[in-house]
Amino acid sequence: MIRREQVAGRLVLNAPLAVAVLASFIRDAAEASGLPGVVVGLSGGIDSALSAALAVQALGAERVHGFVLPYRTSSPDSAQHACALAEHLGIACRTLEISPMVDAYFTLEPEASADRRGNKMARERMAILFDMAKKLDALVLGTSNKTEILLGYSTVFGDNASSLNPLGDLYKCQVRQLSRHLNLPSEVVEKVPSADLWPGQTDENELGFSYEMADEVLYLLFDQGLRPAEVVDRGYDEDVVGRIVSLEQRFRYKRRLMLIARISGSAVNLDQEIPRD
Amino acid sequence: MLASGPIMAEAGKPLKIGLAQIDCRLAEVEHNASRHLEWIARAREAKVDLLVFPELSLTGYRLLHLTPRVALRPEAPLLQRLAKAAGAMPVLLGFVEEGETGVHNSAVLLARGETLHLHRKLYLPTYGLFQEARFFAAGQRLEPAPLPWGKTGVLICEDLWHPELARRLAAAGVKLLIVPSAGPGRIGAGALPDNHEGWEVITRATALLNACWVVYCNRVGWEEGCFYSGGSHVVRPGGEVIARAPVLDEHLLVAELDLRESDRLRGRLPLLDDERFDIEGPAA
Repeated sequence: MIRREQVAGRLVLNAPLAVAVLASFIRDAAEASGLPGVVVGLSGGIDSALSAALAVQALGAERVHGFVLPYRTSSPDSAQHACALAEHLGIACRTLEISPMVDAYFTLEPEASADRRGNKMARERMAILFDMAKKLDALVLGTSNKTEILLGYSTVFGDNASSLNPLGDLYKCQVRQLSRHLNLPSEVVEKVPSADLWPGQTDENELGFSYEMADEVLYLLFDQGLRPAEVVDRGYDEDVVGRIVSLEQRFRYKRRLMLIARISGSAVNLDQEIPRD
Repeated sequence: MLASGPIMAEAGKPLKIGLAQIDCRLAEVEHNASRHLEWIARAREAKVDLLVFPELSLTGYRLLHLTPRVALRPEAPLLQRLAKAAGAMPVLLGFVEEGETGVHNSAVLLARGETLHLHRKLYLPTYGLFQEARFFAAGQRLEPAPLPWGKTGVLICEDLWHPELARRLAAAGVKLLIVPSAGPGRIGAGALPDNHEGWEVITRATALLNACWVVYCNRVGWEEGCFYSGGSHVVRPGGEVIARAPVLDEHLLVAELDLRESDRLRGRLPLLDDERFDIEGPAA
């Protein structure tokens, strides 16, 4: 029976091996697609930094194209950290302001909430990254980690959209482990995580619990198959566990994006599971 | 010329085995076949006596509904081509077999344009990410192959996790057990992928308890976000790993096996001879 003090240890990875495996994933996807490079949106945060760094390991810096896509309310630190990261990795980096495109739309919808504005920004970035991928013969590199995916903490078809995602099976603490192993700049690795969709936003404030807590609770629920009550029995706060369980259930739809009405006996992905290599 | 020559390996001489730890392209049989030809040529240069490819090496593993589309009869021209290319160096490869009554996950040993042995996977994992029983029919027959270098058994991947199969083959005189595999990798804190620990426990225990050689040939590469972790290895009778391939890369692992080691250990450690079948209790 796993005890609470053992959980963090279970999430420790052999960082060099994990980096080698994830780099080979990116290399294989690029080779299989016949496209030489990847594009990645750099937020100035740790997830996009690690994705980009893994791509550099896989493909070499010249085949990784970084994009910094700030909105006018984005923290100036974010863009600055993103550019510093690009310089650290030796990758090309282009900054494109998304304010004109996003604002043009919201002149037609002036009453839109902060949530809607944040989602629009995430989708604007996605649209630009996929267009740049087309232009540069590249794949869009994803940056969503397992913690975010399980909590549904993402914008559907926005920051969760990608051609390939090397981080999707890494909990946030594992993203930190690999980022430290790769010596990514400390201002990126140690900064407080934020979607930066409005000033002062932080992930942990918005979620109401720490990533450290979320990683451990999700590991017990999802990887170990424990029931919520069994997680609480191990000393985790009942309210937090309840909130995590409810987010995990509520946002499952974000993990399976094509909901197809089956009316034949051979529906795509349901009756006919045709794999991709 | 090669196709008509005698098989190189002989009883009483060390057997030079080659494990082709390769990547495969999913459902691209012609492409994979041409890569088999390259590795056969490479193994021949290395003077290998017996070359082993991973499970489903001709087709890739995670085929799901593509499974029937890549099925081949054992006498298919493509397999004949490979059997001719094998020549005097027997080659074990994995393919989707269109049998008389079902589609099987099979491994076939080819040489001199002929089929020397065919094994249909007996245990089809259908749990977690494995879905084999949905697409394959399980084999019904366990058969030791009498080959020029000595009696040999083939067990595909999951088959080895059911230890009575290796036991039955060893009791029938098998001294070399070949295990082609498509083993997905998992990473933890350890030096090697987590899944390797389980595999080595089993290959080594099999080699110890049955006093036979065990060669494990895993593949590498990615399919739908799942990686195969390589780490092919050769275990001598008694359980010592004498050769190990790297974790992620394609590799030709070559090792010399003296099958008499199996006889010698069976003399010192007569576990098979001591087996009792008269013990009362739960059925086997």
